[in-house]
Amino acid sequence: MNIDCKDRDRIFEDGTPAEWAGLEAHSASCEGCAEEMRAWKALSVAAQELRDYSDAPSLWPRIGQALAEQASAKRMRWLNLGTSLALGWQLAAAAALALLVTLGAVWVYVHRTPRNTPQEMADKFLLKSPALAEVERTQAAYEQAIDKLAAEAKPQIDNPATPLQASYREKLLVLDSAIDDLRAQAGLNPSNAQLRQQLLAMYQEKQQTLQDILEEKR
Amino acid sequence: MPPSEDRTSRSAAPAVSGEVSAMALEDTDLAARCLAGDLSAYERLYALQGARMKNVARNLLGNALDAEDAVQETFLKVQRSITSFRGHSSFVTWAYRILINTCYDARRSRMRKKEVSTDDDSEETPHFEPRAPGAHPSLRIALERALARLTKHQRDVFLLYEVEGFHHAEIAAMLEITETASKNTLFQAKKNLRQVLEPPRNQSATGAR
Repeated sequence: MNIDCKDRDRIFEDGTPAEWAGLEAHSASCEGCAEEMRAWKALSVAAQELRDYSDAPSLWPRIGQALAEQASAKRMRWLNLGTSLALGWQLAAAAALALLVTLGAVWVYVHRTPRNTPQEMADKFLLKSPALAEVERTQAAYEQAIDKLAAEAKPQIDNPATPLQASYREKLLVLDSAIDDLRAQAGLNPSNAQLRQQLLAMYQEKQQTLQDILEEKR
Repeated sequence: MPPSEDRTSRSAAPAVSGEVSAMALEDTDLAARCLAGDLSAYERLYALQGARMKNVARNLLGNALDAEDAVQETFLKVQRSITSFRGHSSFVTWAYRILINTCYDARRSRMRKKEVSTDDDSEETPHFEPRAPGAHPSLRIALERALARLTKHQRDVFLLYEVEGFHHAEIAAMLEITETASKNTLFQAKKNLRQVLEPPRNQSATGAR
């Protein structure tokens, strides 16, 4: 390999073994390159002076203990997280179950099969005028009372802080939807006592739910 | 130093491919055991690399006490972040990268404290404390002083290559630079060290420069 002084820096930076051998051969006849090579290698030799791999007997016990403590702290964090998650899931599951039972009850109530003949049903469920007026007055007062209760529970409903509160909110949405539906039907057929009873049941359920939310807040 | 004359201690430069496989296997095994939370794997890592890690930290930070703290912090960080190890480099190289970053953090923190106490904004360089005498104590002291005059990057590459015996590929992975940049930085570092340690006596001896 034909190496001369010009190649020296490049070889120092990134020379192949063959190029280094070529530079060595060139240095045999070039005093300048021979001196540079000696000085270059001397730096590598001098660097060994900064190598001190002496043992530090107290270091590993210290590190080992710190690692064990960190591992233990991590396990504890997972354990605590697991416990709090378990509690959260239990509450959420209980709330979901309560919601299912309620919805089931509402569905059964709404879709129950009438056992009486149409005429008997009409006699039984159609309200007469004075009674109708009284029912409507009572219903309006009841609605106002529930609205007050809903206003009081609004912060918890809008921003549920727990899974249970979130479930209550879902339940209220379902109840409100059922109430709107029943009110629309009652508007079309104001003398139907059965519709009024169903509406009352919905209102009672809503009232109870709002009370539960306010109870939880306390 | 030419590649053909690399020290036998250059870290991952085993002579035969069987040794390469064995080292890679041990590296993979260590990573897997550390990931599984096996504390004995960390002890093995310390047995294999602890002394060298401490030496790296000592040369970057300048004293044994800070170096030991940095090594301990590195092991804790490895344990905390083992799940983020993706195997892009070897596990050991990854651990060294954490060590070097830990040393940088320590240096920065020390510099901030220094700025607060003295309002001195000079670049932080390690101030080497006396060590056990080596074969050539005067040479070591001269080299430490000369290293303090290099840029941080040049000093780090020189220490990792010439003192610790890492390959450029490993240094590149540790410092997050390219292999070419590592080679170039080492070249500049050695050129500067030569100038500091040996003031020019005869310009004709510099040949092509």
